[in-house]
Parts: sequence; C-alpha cells; structure tokens
Amino acid sequence: MRYLWPIERLLRHLNQTIGFKPPSSLVIGAFFAVVLLMIGITILVFPKYSSFIYKSLRRNFLRTTLASMAIMVLAFVVTLVWSILIPLDAAMTEQTKDFKAIVSERWQVPSQMPYAYASTLEEGGYTQPGDIRVKSEDSMTWSFYGGTTDPEHLSFENIIFFFAMEPRKLPTMMDELENIDPKLIERMEKQSDGCIIGRDRLKKLNKKVGERLKVTSLNYRGIDLEFEVIGMFPDNPRYNQSAVMNRDYLQRALDQYQQKTGKKHPLAEKNLNLVWLRVPDSETFSKLGNQIMSSPLYSSPAVKCETASAGISSFLEPYKDILWGVKWVLVPALLIIMCLVMAMAISINVRERRTEMAVLKVLGFTPRRILAIVLGEALVVGVLSGLISAALAYGLVHGVMGGIPFQIAFFAVWDILPDALWWGILFGAVTSALGSIVPACIASNVKVSEVFAKVA
Amino acid sequence: MASEPIVQVLGVHKFFTRGSEQIDVLQDLNLEVADGEFLGLMGPSGSGKTTLLNLIAGLDKPSQGDIWVGENKISTMSEGELARWRTRHIGFIFQFYHLLPVLTAYENVELPLLLLPLSAAQRRQQVTMALDLVGLSDRMKHRPGQLSGGQQQRVGIARAIVTDPTLIVADEPTGDLDARSAEEILNLLTELQKSLKKTILLVTHDPRAAARAQRILHLEKGQLVEKGTVSAGEPAGVARDGDTAIKEGRPAAAVPPR
Repeated sequence: MRYLWPIERLLRHLNQTIGFKPPSSLVIGAFFAVVLLMIGITILVFPKYSSFIYKSLRRNFLRTTLASMAIMVLAFVVTLVWSILIPLDAAMTEQTKDFKAIVSERWQVPSQMPYAYASTLEEGGYTQPGDIRVKSEDSMTWSFYGGTTDPEHLSFENIIFFFAMEPRKLPTMMDELENIDPKLIERMEKQSDGCIIGRDRLKKLNKKVGERLKVTSLNYRGIDLEFEVIGMFPDNPRYNQSAVMNRDYLQRALDQYQQKTGKKHPLAEKNLNLVWLRVPDSETFSKLGNQIMSSPLYSSPAVKCETASAGISSFLEPYKDILWGVKWVLVPALLIIMCLVMAMAISINVRERRTEMAVLKVLGFTPRRILAIVLGEALVVGVLSGLISAALAYGLVHGVMGGIPFQIAFFAVWDILPDALWWGILFGAVTSALGSIVPACIASNVKVSEVFAKVA
Repeated sequence: MASEPIVQVLGVHKFFTRGSEQIDVLQDLNLEVADGEFLGLMGPSGSGKTTLLNLIAGLDKPSQGDIWVGENKISTMSEGELARWRTRHIGFIFQFYHLLPVLTAYENVELPLLLLPLSAAQRRQQVTMALDLVGLSDRMKHRPGQLSGGQQQRVGIARAIVTDPTLIVADEPTGDLDARSAEEILNLLTELQKSLKKTILLVTHDPRAAARAQRILHLEKGQLVEKGTVSAGEPAGVARDGDTAIKEGRPAAAVPPR
C-alpha cells in the first residue's frame, strides 16, 4: 500500500505483534517526547546559540505568539487537506505489478451490471481455451448496500454502508486483510446474515460484536435486512468505518422480495456494481481488458475494464476540478501564505534588530553565523507551531471525531494518519526556512559602517 | 619608539561613491600606533575619524593602501576572516553601548567568548574577571534596561576586554554620558591602559577625554594632523599638546611617541 507511512506502519506492527494499539493521546505524547528529546540534543550540541535564540524569541512575545498562531492555523488546514489528498493520490496512482483491474458498467455512473455477469466475470470472461482465466482467489464482486439503523432520525452516526461480497475473498482480495481471522470468514460463509464491521463504525452505531442490527436500506428500497455482528475488522483506518456482508444474503433478499410482491425489485437485474480482478502485469491486463470488452457476454449493458487507479479516477471524475484546485491551488496557496507570514514576522524582527546584528558582526559573528541565528529563530517558531497544529489535527480528528465524514467514491471517512505529526513539523520547518531566508540574508549582509553611521 | 607598532596604516585611501560622485574620506593616510599606546583621535564631524577607526578595527576595507594590526594584514582579509580576526584581536566600545537588551550583563560580556573554543567554566572565569575589573560583579544578572548609562558603558568595556584583545577601539565612549559617568569611564580606560598595557584607540570630540590619551591626532578632511605628543604613560593634556602641535606643525602622517 503506497500511503503506509512510517509511524502508521510502526503502530500497525505493534498492533499485529503484541496486540497493543496506543491511544492517540499516547501517540501524541510519545511524538512530543521524541521532538523534545531532539530539541534537547540540539540545545546540548549548540548550547550557546539555543539560549540566544530563545531569548530573542521572547523579546517580542506577542509578535512571536501571533506569528506562531498564524502558522498553526494554516498548518492545521494543510494537514487536514493533505490527509485527504495523500490516500486519494495513492489510490489513483498506477501500480506496475500485481495490480487490480475493475470491471464496471461502461456508459453509466454508478455502475449497475446484471448479477448474471458475476459468474463469468469472476473468471475474467473466460469462454474458451486460449483465453486468460482469472483464478478464483484473484477476483471478487461488489454490490453496495447502504442503509440506516434509525430511519426516523437519519444521521451520519446511524448510517452503514456494506460491501456485499463473497466472504472468502476478503483475505485474498482486500488490501491488508490477509491476516483476518479465518474463523470469522468461515462463520460468515455459514451464517449469511453475519456481517463484519469496522470498530469506529460499530462504536458510532452503538453496537457490539454479537449484537444484532436492523438496517433500513437507502438504496435498495424495500429490502430491509437484519444482521448479526459476528466480528470487527482488524484495527486499520482504512476499514474502521467499513462493513462487509455476504452477497448471498442480498441475493436471497431480492428473491424473497419477488416472491412477496410478485414483481422483481428495481435493482434485481442491476445489483452487481463492480468486479475486481487481480492481474500480474500490464500486458496481462491489456489482454484481459480486450477479452472482456470484446466479449458478446457483456454487450447489454456494455462493460469496461480498467485499472483500479483508473477506475477510482473515473469515480472521482465529478470531483476532478475540485481536487485539482485543492491540490494545486489551495495547498500551495496555504503554504505560500505560511511562508509570507513567516517572512513578514522575521523581516520586522530583523529590521528592528539591524543595530544588534551589526554589533554581533563587530564582536566577530560571521555572516553565516548571523544567518544561522535568524534561520534558527524562524525554524523554532515554524517547527513548534507545525507540531502543535498537527497534534491538534490528529488528536481532534482521529482521537475525538474518529475521522471526517466526507464521502468521495469508496472513501466515506477521512482519518488523520499519525504521520500527520511529522508532516506538520515538515510544513512548519520548510515554510519558515523559505520565508525567513531573505530576511536572514539581509541580516547577515548588514553593513556595520552604515548602521552605525545612521545610529550616530 | 617606546615599543614596536601594533597598528600600521600605510598609504590608506578611502572613498565612497554616491551616484557618480566620489567622496574622498581618507587620503593617503599613514599612521603607526605603538603597542600599549593610548591614542586619541579628534576632528570635526565628517573628517573621517570613525571611518579610520572602522578600517583599523576591520569593519571596513580601504579603497587603497594596507593596514597591519600585529602580524595580520587585515586590508586583504575576507569578511569571514575579518570577523574571526576581530573576535580575538579587537575590543570595540560604542558611544551608545549597544548591549543586547534581552541578555543580562553577564551574557552580554560572554557574547564574544561564545565564538572562541572555551569551556563554560573558562568563559565564566573570564566574564567574572572582566566584570570585576569594571566594578560590576554585583550587577551581572541585571539586564541593560536595569543599569544606568555609566554602568551600561562599563559592561560595554567589560565586553571589549573580555577576550584580551590586541587593540581596544572606542568610538566616543563618553558621548552619551553625564560628566561624572564620563569621568569614571575615562578613569577606567586609563587604568586599563596602564595596568593591562592595552593599546587603546579613542575617537572623541571631547577634549577632556582626549586629554587622557598619550598622543592626540587630529583628522581634518581625511588627513592626519598631530596635535600633541607626550612620553609613554603620561597623559597628553589638551592645552599643552595643542600648543605644541600648532608650534611644530607636524605632518599628517603621525609617528608614535619615541
């Protein structure tokens, strides 16, 4: 997975090896401890300058605080936006090996193919020897079933969205579910009303494993289903809001609907939303694509076969302009504003301290040392502000809210990864360094004779 | 000569350009300052005193000519080399003290030592000694804002001497002080020169301050005119030196006392 960042990876490793999932407060605390330790080491290595920088920053405490708060607000927003862009970007980026192809309806969004397509599409549209035949473990079908546990008071808290699929495909086709408990899969195969729900969603629904829930469907009108929660997904931000049900349960309910009402459900012939196929390389994908798209089995409605990233991209087509604007206008604009805020604060500071810089030069401070002092001041403000804002973003969004509910394609909730903590530092450090480089150069090039001529 | 020259200014010319106009501040100036000498430099505003002081202190470079301080030809050094050289060889006393307001007296004096490879204990020893010398050991934790003008200047002097520099340059050190504080500062400088054998170059408008120098040079339109000389260790005395110089009508290039 492309966006498995270092801290996220470490936390998952801890969870998988010793079953320990630290709360967000502990993650933030540990991160602060590491940063403070690094600051402490820096102070020990550069004790003379650290004290000087600290005292200089205290000189105009109000200005330093205001500049810091401006950086914090901007870094907070950038961190939030970044947390959405990173996984989207990863999902839309093409892989070259072992990637997945998506088969969906060609001319309609959302895709609604006949369920009859499922059996042959699962094999990649294999019809005769010489065709590519996809192995059973390398395919899965998806039908989307969404509903609410409280139709009278519809809210984000009581909405649930299921992927209806074959349970046995969970470990083979769903990313990062390779180690899911096989007993859960076995039980779900036997008990068709069993479902697996992500822990955050379960908490929001106020349910526990072993309890039952009745779902009033929002997309399959008249197909209200009752489930037993037989287990939770392993702790993973990707699945903490997700839910999976047995596809047979949905098909049976559709049949029962016909028996009960004497007519087919409106979605009975179009409830296969997606088919996923794993292919080893782009050459195989290309052949498979041709095989499926030219097959007479899938002519009405016609289907298309595209890479997962291309499929997700086409899902995101309606949001394309907004996402482009966020990525290439909003984020750069925010980063530039951060640079400018820092540049302004440091420029005022340097202008006020021109005489002081000249005195330092007289005392023997080289231009490089003066540059380092000014940059150091900006970096301290930038790094600490970035860290605080990222900690706030992570603590609030991940720890308190459990993610930002914002449905885009398959992504229903956007969580802040723990790695946002170092992103915040990075944003703060880079923007403060860029913003202060010009004022720092001005400070380091101050002409002693000119300054004192004016003072006198 | 009382001792070897510690400062040699050889044929120095300094001009500034303003637009297309060239302004000559110092012209073909020659000067020698003996080791341990207390030299006063006087002259009207704009005569080039501070420019000369800046050149000798390595804060500026001559347009032409050479400047030697000790064994170092500072006129050809790069800015970085000059900065490092100043740390070890120059103690600068400013008219307006220019102490850093966020630092205590102790930290202000310690500042130039931060650039030298000294341990914290060594720095503490030297700072304490310098503040003792200027009589401010009981004020070391005070910030400049909590000190009087005279006390601030004494901290400035402690900062100038803490590295045991080759040369102390003072630009109007009493210019911002009342008569009593000025007297104290001049006494201190005289004492430093006598007891520590420090070479002091003093720029001043104040005849009383200049009177503490062993030799006074007068700078007029970028050229030196010696106004008085006395034997080493003996103050010049303004009236007598002025008379002597006028009678002798010495050339601009001054020779240190012999």
